[in-house]
Amino acid sequence: MITCHLMGGKFETQVCQDFDEISRSVDAHREALAEIPLDAIIKVLDALGKRVLNNPEINTLPGVSYISLWLRRENLDRVCRVNYSDKRYLDGFCKNEMNVLMMAQPRGVVCHWIAANMPTLGFFSIVQALLSKNGSMVKMPEEYLPLILSILRELPEISVDYEGVTYSGKSLLDAIAIVTFEGKSVGVSEKFSLAADCRIIFGGSEAVRAISRLPCRDHCETIIFGPKYSFAVFDRGYIESDGFKRALDQLAKDVAIFNQMACSSPHVMFVEKSLYSTEAIASWLRDAFERLPDALRNQEISSGLSAKIINARARYLLSDGKNCIAPRDLGWTILIDQDVCLEEPIQGKCIFIKEITSVDEVIPLVNHKIQAISIGILDQVKREAFARQVTYRGADRIVTPGTIHDFTLPWDGIMTLSRLVRWVILRSN
Amino acid sequence: MMPNSDPFQEQAGLTRDEMIALPPYSQEDRHKNELLLPIIREQLKIARCNNQQIDNYFSRLGVDIDAIQRLEDVPYMPVQMFKYFDLRTCPEHEIVKILQSSGTTSGTPSRIPLDKATALNQMKALKSILSDYLGEKRKIFLVIDHEGINSPEMAFSARTAGVRGLSIYAKKILYLLKEEDGKLSLNMPVIQEILENYSHEEVYAFGFTYIIWTIFYEQIKNEGIRFSFDDFTLFHGGGWKKMQELAVSKEMFSDKIAEVFHTQPANILDFYGMAEQTGIIFVDCEFGNKHVPTFSQVIIRDPLTLEPCEIGKTGFIEVMSILADSYYDQAILTEDLGVLVGVDDCPCGRKGRYFRFVSRVEKAEPRGCGDTFRESSR
Repeated sequence: MITCHLMGGKFETQVCQDFDEISRSVDAHREALAEIPLDAIIKVLDALGKRVLNNPEINTLPGVSYISLWLRRENLDRVCRVNYSDKRYLDGFCKNEMNVLMMAQPRGVVCHWIAANMPTLGFFSIVQALLSKNGSMVKMPEEYLPLILSILRELPEISVDYEGVTYSGKSLLDAIAIVTFEGKSVGVSEKFSLAADCRIIFGGSEAVRAISRLPCRDHCETIIFGPKYSFAVFDRGYIESDGFKRALDQLAKDVAIFNQMACSSPHVMFVEKSLYSTEAIASWLRDAFERLPDALRNQEISSGLSAKIINARARYLLSDGKNCIAPRDLGWTILIDQDVCLEEPIQGKCIFIKEITSVDEVIPLVNHKIQAISIGILDQVKREAFARQVTYRGADRIVTPGTIHDFTLPWDGIMTLSRLVRWVILRSN
Repeated sequence: MMPNSDPFQEQAGLTRDEMIALPPYSQEDRHKNELLLPIIREQLKIARCNNQQIDNYFSRLGVDIDAIQRLEDVPYMPVQMFKYFDLRTCPEHEIVKILQSSGTTSGTPSRIPLDKATALNQMKALKSILSDYLGEKRKIFLVIDHEGINSPEMAFSARTAGVRGLSIYAKKILYLLKEEDGKLSLNMPVIQEILENYSHEEVYAFGFTYIIWTIFYEQIKNEGIRFSFDDFTLFHGGGWKKMQELAVSKEMFSDKIAEVFHTQPANILDFYGMAEQTGIIFVDCEFGNKHVPTFSQVIIRDPLTLEPCEIGKTGFIEVMSILADSYYDQAILTEDLGVLVGVDDCPCGRKGRYFRFVSRVEKAEPRGCGDTFRESSR
């Protein structure tokens, strides 16, 4: 069964047998979207960011204030420039360095499979489709529908003037459809996949594999944001610097946001041998966890995850050469050992601390499953050398504590907007 | 470090032997806790001395055994740790048997080392519990399983534990199922023998809930067989997750099985127990509540705060016991969810806490796009 929650600008819940009507609607309305100058689209989105921040029904929800920041015109401008090199390509043919007229045309209808780990993920995916002037059919996790629909409800209220023309947020909304359906239903999933000119897939290993195998049209582009792993590394100089304790506050936040369910959530913290023992560093991190706001420190977890955390704690408490620092409740857990390796994620704010003699010991551990490495290395030459090595081996993002979840492009090594358009040419006479 | 005589006695308290000898549901909860605490404190000291891992555990948790004032503050051991650590608390030479759970869920069996005293305590405890439900008289024991389940070569499982444990009241054991090529079916010659020779005997039976329903009940219904005994009690346990998948409630199970044995549903008794705490089973009373015997305690812990839950709130079942000298069974945190129904006031008259089993904990797979660091193979 397919339930459509938004189509053609109307927020009406209706049951559909297939995606024909929905994709026809998105396809028809995306033409109007394609006619809007990119700067006007950015202006509408900037206004949307301000509106959500002023909406008391949603502005306190997790991630909404970040959406507002991210939608600022300067940020969207930068995102587009980084992806397209020149924003003008989106609005018409421009001469490139090869003396050819080139333009970025939208791919068409983008079908999004949104993972159930991050409430605002679907929104970021939609915005990227808008910034590339594509129509969107979004399969949204049921639990995140209210938030996403509340944000989108603000769009028709927005109108902006750009170069003497008034543009309405409704034109953007019309090109978006939100659906829910049982992902395990192969028949429905196949129909959804076949409706796409481009597929964006977010999810864990099993979901990504299953969706990737679905039939799609020959020209369909597939952009996968698959399962990834992240961790943190600090060198001696950084640990002994004044900023280290502040960085631990940031690290605690990085661990706590999304309760370690995101691909950008760190699971291990490697610390180079320094003046401070691992136990001392762990005690500072403990204090940082305890300073977290209530909403981050005390997040709901399943009883299965509770059992997993309890077992991990007990294994470390019982073992020789290991230790565990944790409160009486399951708010957070620090697991200490000396094995220089990555650990299977536990989630629920469980971080492993491991002492290393040099940050270089971490390099061989990196592979293509590593998304982000949060580094604390003060020396710029050492930072870059480390970054070159780990990115060569597969890591996508080398970031600083506190910025690991910042949604910047490229993400997972992908310039998403650039992939969401077809680069077309017109040779001059 | 192990003393020869029972050391677990404090002034104004009872020894462990005296506790085990008490009628199993005779003590009010508060009084029972006062009796259990000094015994457990002494057991913890010995456990700590005899096991480096347990000493690590206590040290890192900052446990001062003498300062423990409530059973709730006794450090609990997650049940999975029996798979990964030797939790023996007596000298190795005193171990006479190591129970191994079948490890059907994880593939890794739990190892539970027993010395003579522990094995004897477990037997006494189980006898005490069963006597409350069956009386003192020996009876015919029907096992709704195949005979091989009790062979010494079989790995220790909940099924073997049940058969071996419950057989202490048996004057004769009869197996109602047989196994051929790995398949279970009715053991017709034995069933015929029962129908002909034991119809007016006092009988008790044991079986694994899921096997009773899917094999025994299905086949006995098809054969149109009904038993009739003078007195009948069935103890059954385990497999409720599968039964839930089959949409069979406890009530439906009891009604249908009672019909087969021509008895009241109140005589079909579900129980909760585990290999890691052999000797103690928590049996349903006629009001469907599981009761905690004198030598044991149950705490329901909130899955997030791990603090004891109030009545009516679901949490992890922690089981406590004073039976073992040979391994850490003083406080075991299970991966089962239960709910405390009440204390000292069950209409059945049994004193102490009473609870209900809710479900096994669902295994947690990593959620979201966070994943293993391991690359898939090329």
